[in-house]
Amino acid sequence: MDVLAVDNIKKSFRREISLARKEVLHGLSIYVNSGEILGFLGPNGAGKTTTIKIILGLIKPDSGEVKIFDHPVGDRRAMSRIGYLPELPYFYPHLSLEEFLTFCGQMSGMERRVLRHRVDEVIRLVELADHRYRRLKDFSKGMIQRAGLAQAVLHDPDLLILDEPFSGLDPMGRIQVRDILLGLKDRRKTIFFSSHILPDMEALCDRACIINEGTVVRWASLDELTRMGEGKIEVATRYCGADVLEDLTDYVESTDSLGDESFLVVKEQKYLRTVLMHLLNNGAEVLRVENRHPSLEDVFISEVSGVRKGRDGDGMKQPDRTLLQEG
Amino acid sequence: MRRVSSIALNTFRESVREKLLFVALIFGGILTLSTYLLSPLAVGAKQKIVTDVSLASISILGVLAAIFVGSTLVRKEVDKKAVFMVLTRPVSRLQYLIGKFIGVVMAISLLVLVMTGFMVLMMLIGKAEFKPALFVAVYLSALEITVMCSVVIFFSTFTTPVLTLLFSMCIFVAGSLSGDLLAFAQKFGGAFTRIMARAFHYILPNLGIFNLRHEAVHDLPFFGSDVALATLYALVYCGVVLYFAYLIFRRREFI
Repeated sequence: MDVLAVDNIKKSFRREISLARKEVLHGLSIYVNSGEILGFLGPNGAGKTTTIKIILGLIKPDSGEVKIFDHPVGDRRAMSRIGYLPELPYFYPHLSLEEFLTFCGQMSGMERRVLRHRVDEVIRLVELADHRYRRLKDFSKGMIQRAGLAQAVLHDPDLLILDEPFSGLDPMGRIQVRDILLGLKDRRKTIFFSSHILPDMEALCDRACIINEGTVVRWASLDELTRMGEGKIEVATRYCGADVLEDLTDYVESTDSLGDESFLVVKEQKYLRTVLMHLLNNGAEVLRVENRHPSLEDVFISEVSGVRKGRDGDGMKQPDRTLLQEG
Repeated sequence: MRRVSSIALNTFRESVREKLLFVALIFGGILTLSTYLLSPLAVGAKQKIVTDVSLASISILGVLAAIFVGSTLVRKEVDKKAVFMVLTRPVSRLQYLIGKFIGVVMAISLLVLVMTGFMVLMMLIGKAEFKPALFVAVYLSALEITVMCSVVIFFSTFTTPVLTLLFSMCIFVAGSLSGDLLAFAQKFGGAFTRIMARAFHYILPNLGIFNLRHEAVHDLPFFGSDVALATLYALVYCGVVLYFAYLIFRRREFI
């Protein structure tokens, strides 16, 4: 049984002023297995938040079906097993952290005694014990994000849906949230989270679903994600003759020159030593060596161009469900 | 039921912590106290002035506070997405709306209670006699405010706070006059006007039935059956309006 099954959903919104509708999701299908962390990757405007809102019943799809633990969206049995953290969360500013978590627990139908115990536990988990009685209006952005995570895990849900959980966090906060999520994974909780930051995906996900313009453009396994996130090594050099660069064509992907400076992108890590030795032996000056991680835009440009090519040719095929589940 | 009461308590807490309610409270207090200064101007009618101004303050300030507080509560939660914290849990949209409604009613009831306290204090200072009609008038004002709370919640499910405020004000004025308008139309209007007046009379809240101020001020008799009927009317009207609010809110998409 899939923990979450989103089957061929379509959604369009009416444009402002005009009566015409713009389709933002074009038959999107996602299946999340029990106990896995699935990353939902896409640029701004790809349809990530719309998909999440459909899953949670905040928006209705035009067509298609969503099942959570085999129940339809909005079913109490399903909703009580979901923990949700919205993007840029806003919580009741007039409440203290403790009051807010108690309120969330009551909404989830938790028993009073269990709730009191869990509130203590999650406040410690997100390291906000010193701010327990402070009103949320006085919280920083990072603290709000942690309070959001606390309310999402409060009722010990089986499925966590997190919309950009790392936004607004400092490096320490990011590590802390990663550790919390990995701890939940160890407890066989299923996590579905959206992000547009590749390193977050690499660090956490078992699989990733990459979407663009309301369509799944690719399913990536952890290996593929790691490969996507691997950097390219760029060597900046000065006083390097054209003949020297020509000798390196087997080892470098591309070269670029500006004045007496040249920039070489090394094909693979293993060729770096050869390239550097060759440059130094031929009188070139090495200015710097940098490992450049590809931005999400770089990944999308390559993925999306692939999709467009597919559409222009045979057309984009719907992902095969069995293959997807194998990951 | 526990979820509804939690939402109501949270709404009550939010409303009480809103400065607007305190402004209304201070304003009502000043108004009631001012009657003590004004009363020497009306020779022999000191008691009537205190009662009249106090009851009018409770009714008008209570309704205004309900409109101002209620018009922003639902919409603010939707706009700021705080509503997601509730609706993504096993809570129905009907439970959410009823909780919000009860919370606003509780907050405004507190305002009414404190303002009634001011009135009683003024009457004690003036050594006035307490008549049952006085407290029945306060009770009916509270019912009137409750009906207006349901109207405000209804508008706030689909329109902006400014329009909610405007529509609710219009409904309050029209509702206060609906009985008079019907009587006027029956006497002087044509067939169409009479039908329209009757239709509006049934659709708009008939707030006239909650007005017992005249009887309370002039110590006139009143019927218990009228009070019971007004109570029943308020319950039914609130139920119907909240049901329509739910029908709209149920279809709402949180983009």
